[in-house]
Amino acid sequence: MKCIGCGVEASIKEFRYLYNPRIDASVTLRQCAKCQAWLVVDEMKNEATRIMQAGEDPWGKSAGIENVTQAT
Amino acid sequence: MSTATQTNITNAESKEWWWVAERERSPRLDYLRKAVWKKGAIGGNYAPGIKVNLERAQLFTESWKENEHDPIMLRKAKALAHYLENKTIFITDQAQLVGYVGTLPNTLEWYPEGASIVNEEVYNEQSVIPEPEKESLELIAEINDYWSGQTAIDKLGRVLDPEDIVKFMSGVIGWGSPTSAYGYSGKDYEYILTGKRGFEDILDDIDANIEAVEKETKGMPGPDILPLYDKLLNWEAMQIILDAVIDYANRYARLAKIIAENFETDPKRRKELLQIAETCERIPAQAPRNLQESFQLDLFIQVIARAEAYEGAWPGRPDYYHGPFYDKDVNIDKRLTKDEALDLVGEFMIRAHEVGMFGPRWTREGLQGITGTWVWTLGGVNQDGTDACNDLTVAFLQAARLVRVSNPTFGFRWHPEVKDEVMRECFECLRHGLGYPSMRNDPVLVENTMYWYGHPIEEARTWVHQACMSPCPTTKHGFQPMRMASATANTVKMVEYALSDGYDRVVSMQMGPKTGDPRNFKDFEELFQAWVQQMEWLMKILVRTVNLGRVKDPEFFGRPFLSAISERSVESGLDAVSPEGERGNCWVTFFTWVENADSLAAVKKLVFDEKKYTMDQLMTALEANWEGYEEMRLDFVRNAPKWGNDDDYVDEIMVRCLREVARHGKEIKCPSGNNWPALPENVSGNIHYASLVGALPNGRRLGDALYDGGISPGPGLDKKGPTAVLKSCAKIDHVKDGRAFLLNQRMSPTQLNGDKGYTMWKSYMKSWADLGLDHVQFNMVDDTTLRSAQKDPEKYQELIVRVAGYSAHFVDISRKTQDNIIQRTVVGL
Repeated sequence: MKCIGCGVEASIKEFRYLYNPRIDASVTLRQCAKCQAWLVVDEMKNEATRIMQAGEDPWGKSAGIENVTQAT
Repeated sequence: MSTATQTNITNAESKEWWWVAERERSPRLDYLRKAVWKKGAIGGNYAPGIKVNLERAQLFTESWKENEHDPIMLRKAKALAHYLENKTIFITDQAQLVGYVGTLPNTLEWYPEGASIVNEEVYNEQSVIPEPEKESLELIAEINDYWSGQTAIDKLGRVLDPEDIVKFMSGVIGWGSPTSAYGYSGKDYEYILTGKRGFEDILDDIDANIEAVEKETKGMPGPDILPLYDKLLNWEAMQIILDAVIDYANRYARLAKIIAENFETDPKRRKELLQIAETCERIPAQAPRNLQESFQLDLFIQVIARAEAYEGAWPGRPDYYHGPFYDKDVNIDKRLTKDEALDLVGEFMIRAHEVGMFGPRWTREGLQGITGTWVWTLGGVNQDGTDACNDLTVAFLQAARLVRVSNPTFGFRWHPEVKDEVMRECFECLRHGLGYPSMRNDPVLVENTMYWYGHPIEEARTWVHQACMSPCPTTKHGFQPMRMASATANTVKMVEYALSDGYDRVVSMQMGPKTGDPRNFKDFEELFQAWVQQMEWLMKILVRTVNLGRVKDPEFFGRPFLSAISERSVESGLDAVSPEGERGNCWVTFFTWVENADSLAAVKKLVFDEKKYTMDQLMTALEANWEGYEEMRLDFVRNAPKWGNDDDYVDEIMVRCLREVARHGKEIKCPSGNNWPALPENVSGNIHYASLVGALPNGRRLGDALYDGGISPGPGLDKKGPTAVLKSCAKIDHVKDGRAFLLNQRMSPTQLNGDKGYTMWKSYMKSWADLGLDHVQFNMVDDTTLRSAQKDPEKYQELIVRVAGYSAHFVDISRKTQDNIIQRTVVGL
């Protein structure tokens, strides 16, 4: 997997796993060991899609009546 | 329409309730609210400027050294008296109530006699060391050196089973310390807060007891009189501390007079200061006569209890015990207007909010944003079963919306006779985003209290929240003086160990019993029986520890003040913590509970019923933390039934698990010989344990937050709507299957707007009550607000959320906790 922040490429296991609050989704947060960026990762594709910024919702809106979770 | 009203409407529409509160509360409450230093840890760390109080540690230790030959109760009483006599005191400008845990407004209390491991944390927590830092560190080191080996926990560690203590101290199976140094006590409010007596009356009773016993100890020798000598010493200790508290209150009286006579120029404030002086000259020596005196007595009791020990909860029923004084002052004597009374009510909440004690890191991580779970109990019934709600019930609910503290919060005891006016006040608090009151089903919980412990119905009806959830009577034989948080289990370890032959892969040690290599399990029953064995082991080890801690506490710690305000101690001469005379009210808090049912159901379905995977394949994936097995992981998440969807497949497993626990809860006994039911709830233990629990068949990885607690479905995993959640929960018998069951629900502030929203909520509550659930609590805040608060926390300092058994300011909790709350399903009604 390639870090979007610094460009380093490594096995996905080398990117420190942070968490996923929606276990029914494949989107997780991992941290690059080199540049410390928080990366939004698609675990099915083993691909970092973007750097996580404050206030973002990579898992989509909460499940329930205020829109169901959007697939990533 | 005035500009102010228009602005309020705009703020209300945008759910910025904190601006509405700021405009609507009195200038006094506004000042007092803003004068408070934030004491809750933010993401586990204290806010800048918060310092540990060294006066107590220094003065207490000084006296302790001087009285080394005294028995513990006497030694403790003298040390506390020395502290109260010499500690720094202050009166906040505009305050009408006085008394503070600590010395300066930015300080946290510290109890060096409690636990050496906590003392080490004080030394190493650089941000809380007062200036000058070098001298402070030298003093802390000196104090720590003295107490090393002789704290309550040190002494307990020498008598506990070595294997038990190693496993307990690993931090992965339990939470808390088995000592009243770091626990929380119920109170005998029927003795001390009903307006019948002050401390001088108790002193008279103790004098009479001493006189009667001394006749015996000077009489015919024999075995019967031997225990009396210790009782005499205990009574002496109670006398010392009661006198010390009366003197402490008089210090405030003198200070108030000094300020009034020499410094205060505002005539109105001068009059208030003289009123404080008069109050403190009377309270706590004599019984209260009015609302201010009644609140002041309560506050002194709470402050002094926290001078004695780290009280991690605040069991209270303020509307019930202070209600008669409110009625007298506002309705009968008309001594106070409603607004003046509201100022007192709001200030009482703020005084509780400002309390801070230095907590070990596991506390700060498990209770993010607060210093303890102050869940005050409102409503309910009188001992004769009639509605106990009164005007003060309403006043507290109104004051809560004005002062907007995250702590204390309320638990409201609902029953069928509660008036609509009161229910509407509860709803308005929720609509204003406070996350409280939690709603409790009073008839169910009264029956539950009687079922598990045999409390008589009149006593069961007095119940208060002992911490966030568990009812506890406030009576002579019913109140529980020592609840140790260490009877708290990280219960997801039950299924984790059932799948690992009792081995904990996170801390790399054999923890639970060897229940077999799961790869060899042939059917679900083998797995389930392994789970039962792990469950029994976990409950036993924690309860063994706690039971011993309890019976040793009078010897290792001592509670002279708690004893002095408890009728059975004043009568018997025993430390209040002694199990003698207590009926028993223990429970095991079950953190991280629902994952057990979801995980067992997933294995049953996909491995044993559908045979889609083998146990070997599952175990390989779990041991790899699901790395490289994402498709399989999603299969276990999405295609195995999850709790909260009214699906009997998993719901029956949940109930079966609970009934095994209930069975075992009657086999293990407390020091009073009574039961140990389970109580599923979480505080923020789901975050604290996230990195201490491995991958599970419900689809989580090591590091993921666990579910948010109690019997709440996993975030986003309840797909069938709120009725399905209630129906799942209703399959549990809320009387016999456990002590109580926490349920978090998140609702839409948009949908629940106005009168229509109230009607919908009431309808939901009727379903909840009809189905016999005992608890529910609500978040009413939308995604947009929460995400905005993550982006610009400075603009959302006053945003409050319900975490689990408590509320916190959203910006004070960790990012992981925030995301966990956001992902809770928003149920539509």
